[in-house]
Amino acid sequence: MAFATSRSLRRAPENGARCTARARRRNGHPLLGLGLIAPSFVILVLVAVAPIAYAVYLSFTNYSILGGGRFTGVDNYERIAGDPSFWAALRNTLVFTLVTVPTQTALALLIAAVLARVFRPAFRRIVQSALFLPAIVAAVTAGTIWRVMLATDGGTVNELLTALGLPDVDWLGQTTTAGLSVCIVIVWKNVGYFLVIYQAAVLSVPEEQYEAASLDGAGGWRSFRHITLPALRPVTFLVLVLGTIWSFQTFDLVYTLTGGGPGTATSTLVYLVYTTGLEQLDMGYASAIAFVLLLVILCFAVIQRRIVSGGER
Amino acid sequence: MRPRAMSRAILAVPLLAVAAITLLPLWAMIATALQDTTSVRLSVGWEDVDLGNVIELFTRFGFGPALLTSIVVTLLACLMNIVVCSLAAYGFSIHRFRGSETLFWAYLATMMIPTQVTIIPLLLIMRELHLTGTYFSLAVPAVGAFGVFLIRQFSASLPYEVFEAARLDGAGPLQTFRHIYLPLVRPALGSLTIFTFISVWNDFLWPLVSLSDNTLQTVTLAAAMLPGRFTTDFGLVMAGAAVSMGVPVLAYLALQKQFLRGIAVTGSQR
Repeated sequence: MAFATSRSLRRAPENGARCTARARRRNGHPLLGLGLIAPSFVILVLVAVAPIAYAVYLSFTNYSILGGGRFTGVDNYERIAGDPSFWAALRNTLVFTLVTVPTQTALALLIAAVLARVFRPAFRRIVQSALFLPAIVAAVTAGTIWRVMLATDGGTVNELLTALGLPDVDWLGQTTTAGLSVCIVIVWKNVGYFLVIYQAAVLSVPEEQYEAASLDGAGGWRSFRHITLPALRPVTFLVLVLGTIWSFQTFDLVYTLTGGGPGTATSTLVYLVYTTGLEQLDMGYASAIAFVLLLVILCFAVIQRRIVSGGER
Repeated sequence: MRPRAMSRAILAVPLLAVAAITLLPLWAMIATALQDTTSVRLSVGWEDVDLGNVIELFTRFGFGPALLTSIVVTLLACLMNIVVCSLAAYGFSIHRFRGSETLFWAYLATMMIPTQVTIIPLLLIMRELHLTGTYFSLAVPAVGAFGVFLIRQFSASLPYEVFEAARLDGAGPLQTFRHIYLPLVRPALGSLTIFTFISVWNDFLWPLVSLSDNTLQTVTLAAAMLPGRFTTDFGLVMAGAAVSMGVPVLAYLALQKQFLRGIAVTGSQR
């Protein structure tokens, strides 16, 4: 959404030109404008501005619901630097992002391109509807369903492995496979959503471009590389940014799928904020972790924005 | 076979396989929920169907009131979002004032901050205001800058002459809002409603955190809190999952076009 913002704002002057400043002065009531915006302003202060300011303050205290609240300077941040559970959560969050974002983007793009270029609308709709369904399922419920699917005693995946004559796997009980399981569920849940975005974009590429390419003897793969891929570039960036932001917010599905375990193998930053602040009630320290998470997200947003504006030039 | 039909047939197989794998967990959920079982089932015959799990959800685990809470909170959130955001978008696009553009930028900046980051201070503030455990407190975090942004961007493509003409016809600014602005931005309101509906219904962290000390619960929370994390009562757990996602899935099946268009719009809105 961060990315969505910059372009639409650039479109704004176009609109400004149509309705001249004079027309606006005649029609607009600045005082009324203030009144119209007031309700949303009050709510935004309540749910976003005040909490963020409060979070910054809390992160410099040892506040807990049980007491405390003494100003402790940068103690919390120093504690973060030496806290192995923080580094584990950060590492897991980054690994999940680096595994799931490219995978789900590539899958969604590939399926969208094949569906749009090769198949009739009816078939397209069937596949798209099936793949989109998980996007409607709550992440926490997705975690529950997959915990059952991956269970060692009676879980579907292991029963299928047995049927194929393969050994059982303790999916959620081992470090590597637990992480892999989290990634699988994230991809399962997101592919359909991004497929819908890609599908609309692929279908809006002018047909003539493909016709010209096939007259030049280009096959499916070449026209994908030279026409589809470049045309979808802006959408791809949107998909990457959204995927990254969502991945950094991973909490719900980990809560029900693995509970962050085994050990800290699948703990994420938001999961750590939750356990630290709301189970151990160490709210000052949790706020500091949350603030570091925000900084990580902002860094990624800036880097991606850079790449985007570089790519468009 | 012509080459196009050939490639279609060859490509259809993996695509259908992917679709089937995607649906497998959801199918397993339904088949397991309908049987009295401790292992996951993939088949269910009419004679095996046992609604015991579903009945237990409603009699022992409070799914009735939880469903009601989810419905009320979701409706409230959609309503608040539509009213508050369309008013603000109308102000930002038609009745500008000194600094309104800067303020709009500030609105956009708040969209960057995920709720997960501010959840603890939000909880403390809501407690201080004695709002925790109310429908309002469950709904209000869904109201934010996104709706204002969505509607304002949509209305940027409207011809300004319409508003000029309304003024010349003697319509007051609030009449213009009701009879001209709102009808024109209806598609954006539709998308906003769908996004709000899904995100509030599926929200887990905020209900988990803010409802910890009383009996109110949403259905998504209730399903996640079913015993079974360390047991194998798979039938009950899967029934909870199925019931909690029932309303959004039915809404999606009924309004498929609107859902897909709403999402595709975010893709082309840049």
